[in-house]
Amino acid sequence: MTDAAHLRPKMIGASVPRTEDARLLTGRGAFVDDRKLPDALHVAFVRSIHPHARIRAIDATRALAAPGVAAVYTAADLEDVVPPIRATSRMSGYYATPILPLALGKVRYVGEPVVAILAESRYLAEDALELVEIDYEALPMAIDPETAARPDAPLLHEAAGTNILLTREFKRGDAEGDIAMAPVRVKGRFRMRRRTPAAIEVRACAADYDAGRDALTLYAATQIPGILRDALAQIFDLPGHRLRVVAPDVGGGFGGKASLYPEEILTCLAARQLGRAVKWTGDRVEDLTATSQAFDEIIDAELAVDSQGRVLGLTADAIGDVGAYSIYPWTAALEPVQVVSFLPGPYRVPSYRGRVRAVATPKAPTGPYRGVGRPVSTFVIERLMDMAAREIGIDPLEIRRRNLVADDEFPYKVASGLVWDKSGFHACLEQACAAIGYDALRARQAEARAAGRWFGIGIASYAELTGIGSRISAAPGMPINTGTETASIRIDSTGAVTAAFGVAAHGQGLETTLAQVVAEHLGARLADIRIVQGDSDAVGGGTGTYASRSTVLAGGAAIRAADGLREKVLQVASHLLEAAPRDLVAADGRVTVVGTDRSVTFREVARAVYAEMGRLPPEAREELAVTRNYDPILGTTSCATHIAALEIDPQTYIVRIERYVVAEDCGRIINPLIVDGQVHGGVAQGIGAALYEEVIHDENGQILTGSFVDYVVPAAGDIPPIEVVHVESMSPTTLGGFRGMGEGGTIGAPAAIANAVADALAPLGVDVFELPVTPARLFRLIANAQARS
Amino acid sequence: MKPPPFDYVVADSVEAAVALLGQSAGEAKIIAGGQSLVPMLNFRLLRPALLVDINAIAALSFVEDAGHEIRIGALTRHRQLETSPVIATHLPVIAEAMGHVAHLAIRNRGTIGGSLSHADPAAELPMLALLLDARLEIASGGGRRDVAAGDFFRGALSVALDDGELLTEIRIPKLPAATGWGFAEVARRHGDFALAAIATTLTVADGTAVDARIAMTGVADRPLRATVAERLLLGQAVTADLLERVAAVARESVTPGSDVHASADYRRHLVGVLVRRAMDEAWRRAQRGAA
Repeated sequence: MTDAAHLRPKMIGASVPRTEDARLLTGRGAFVDDRKLPDALHVAFVRSIHPHARIRAIDATRALAAPGVAAVYTAADLEDVVPPIRATSRMSGYYATPILPLALGKVRYVGEPVVAILAESRYLAEDALELVEIDYEALPMAIDPETAARPDAPLLHEAAGTNILLTREFKRGDAEGDIAMAPVRVKGRFRMRRRTPAAIEVRACAADYDAGRDALTLYAATQIPGILRDALAQIFDLPGHRLRVVAPDVGGGFGGKASLYPEEILTCLAARQLGRAVKWTGDRVEDLTATSQAFDEIIDAELAVDSQGRVLGLTADAIGDVGAYSIYPWTAALEPVQVVSFLPGPYRVPSYRGRVRAVATPKAPTGPYRGVGRPVSTFVIERLMDMAAREIGIDPLEIRRRNLVADDEFPYKVASGLVWDKSGFHACLEQACAAIGYDALRARQAEARAAGRWFGIGIASYAELTGIGSRISAAPGMPINTGTETASIRIDSTGAVTAAFGVAAHGQGLETTLAQVVAEHLGARLADIRIVQGDSDAVGGGTGTYASRSTVLAGGAAIRAADGLREKVLQVASHLLEAAPRDLVAADGRVTVVGTDRSVTFREVARAVYAEMGRLPPEAREELAVTRNYDPILGTTSCATHIAALEIDPQTYIVRIERYVVAEDCGRIINPLIVDGQVHGGVAQGIGAALYEEVIHDENGQILTGSFVDYVVPAAGDIPPIEVVHVESMSPTTLGGFRGMGEGGTIGAPAAIANAVADALAPLGVDVFELPVTPARLFRLIANAQARS
Repeated sequence: MKPPPFDYVVADSVEAAVALLGQSAGEAKIIAGGQSLVPMLNFRLLRPALLVDINAIAALSFVEDAGHEIRIGALTRHRQLETSPVIATHLPVIAEAMGHVAHLAIRNRGTIGGSLSHADPAAELPMLALLLDARLEIASGGGRRDVAAGDFFRGALSVALDDGELLTEIRIPKLPAATGWGFAEVARRHGDFALAAIATTLTVADGTAVDARIAMTGVADRPLRATVAERLLLGQAVTADLLERVAAVARESVTPGSDVHASADYRRHLVGVLVRRAMDEAWRRAQRGAA
């Protein structure tokens, strides 16, 4: 920073309207399906109708002869062409399932791709689908994860020798012993049901083949163009400069577009083999059956507290139903392991033992989903805290005050080994209470109860790790590095600024927030900056956008690169203005000699470097470009407290959320508008998990929620106004002080609503152990309670 | 989710439409708003050889006060029903219920004739037709006939329309003076098909009920009237105790199914709750009207 830094307009922290919205809100966005590739073939997949079956024979001769059909692929056609890819890891006892574009020998879930048909249109391809004959031999299967975990269960992957793909344990102290000695113990069997991301844009990809260079460009609705490029380059043994993956405008991901999919491999293969562009635009049925799903854990957990409500010990045994495959690159560990590693939450937990088994079942694979593991761990620990508070007769607010890690205890090492850096655990709790008027709300509840109404208040506090650097991995030894990000910033000969990153926004507004960071640190005008992202060609190596990483990692890289480039600009300007660089300040696209009216614009600086012969000495004419990496090593802590107030109709059991407050600490805020939007969207998804959304399979393994009639996501009218309080404490561990905040809303909301529902029903003796708590579930819970009393 | 191939013809008159239906030997489907038909085509649940588009038949789109009855053209959009002054004045229970039919974009396209002919077992309009003793006018190459709503609905997605027939008009008798009405619905989300919905009317003279109607949807393969429960009300002043007995009888009269949204027990429970609410509303309105 120069001496005159305080004179610059502050871009970081400004509520700048999202620059991408002008195109997205006027229908000028360009999504994968908008990309018209001349002469493209369209793919439709014959998908498995069985959860577990041997493929005896496939007869596609009639389909191949159907009008407009150019090619038909089965696994047999790919055997020597596409090697299986595996999500490897060093975890002991872990089995990495082979992943192929089309099922080979067996099918393992309803919806798994078996045959690909390429035709002149999707209509013709779907007509031909009906002509494919597959001779299946149904195999025994265990659809329920606990049954599947038994030694005698039918095996999904014979080579694994078990359906338990991995086991992990975290342990500190003697939790069982501490619990046995404790005066107060609460426990439960908790269940969070399976859900699916349900992004508004379904998955899609289009491979454009350049025969002249034997090069492929894959346009994909993905969060991870960099990971796809590297994985596909490995599969097809192509150098990176002949395989480019572009994620254009992407309509939401929520984790569902953060893995490598069979459709992407098949599309690339077919384009190369047939020498034509090949396009697959999934439909909603494919999305709801074959996009990675999430959650789906059973957790037996027990919490012990002393007579004052202070936590003494915690144990948990979790089963994660991870579906049929260990998804690439994250592995099947991703979701269930985070459930047990985050279970102690933001609390002082002296002793802990958490075990998890990831069990393969004949369902779509689970993968990343906004919040990963923590919506479930927060649901469990926050329910246990409320149960313990009730047991000893103190308010849910008070038990959190007594157990949250205190400000002077940071950095705090969690019982599972994670470390919380200094952040506003208590500040979020207190400010959320102040915003909602907690005491007055409790008084209102007392009145409502006296009148026979079911009114409940639920608190959920949580902490999460965001902006994770290279020292922490979702699965140890997984095949990618998620901990580094690159910023490459260039001023071209017109003075325009282009900043390229490895991230891939799909709704987060990174084109705006990263431009704000670059503008502030470079001294450029926001309007002169273009952010390039979502393109594997943008930087040498990148992954994408997931895990609340992009603001922390790309923001940090942007600071480093923009600071470096500003120094270069000042060097050139010092020649033009005949002043020492230390006397210059860059702001608003102009370099000024401090205390004078002498200045040059970035455009003049650029012209001097690139266009004006002899204006500068040769050694001052280096390209105005700087590339820097950033690795936050460990990452940083984000936290929040959510409070929900709701009322349940005592006759219909419909839940109406009346107030919803979030007090969150995401560190230094780049754009408050975008933070608010992320919190609102996250809470809406958390409300979905709490009250609405559930992927349901019947006992035969058939999926019953294959359309939006049966898979119920909350609509705008089901989401209450959400009040957001920003507790802005600079992260001590990241460049810029940023913390990640893309997922938090989804982490806190299920627990807050579960606690509020349980609070509303406390007079009936009803507790909540399973989400979503639909009206039909409430009906059963209440009927059972009434039968008991 | 792409439909199999089909031919498509725009009919410019009822005569042309029924002629096309008559020639196609059961292989044709009428398309009006398309809000149920198009998803069914895309799922390949239906494979008509021919779609006959009736959207250009302007004469089928009207709401008319015909003195003793209200006449509604089959092509009348849900949104027209929702906003029609004639409906608001004479059949306000329809105006109220339309707010629960899907979402505005769908109501702008969907038609009353389409909803009744499609006969989704959880839809509101078939229940209202049954409640209000509607008569449905049907055209075919052989002429016209009409059928009572009670005889029209035969089961899930099944109605008394032959292959060559087109529903053209819905005629609903006006309600007597001092008639109140009620509507109550529970759905997972606003605009979803009902888990259960109830519509009622109650006509009062001298402080007691002289006519009572209770129609139910979402609880069987077709809309139902709770006839035994209705009779309990006749000659009675409505009290909380009577409402409880009426609700209990209605509840016991249904044997709903279970699905991913609700169990049979919960649906049956809802019938009791909603009958009580909707009949209580009708009683209050009837008394206001009688006063």
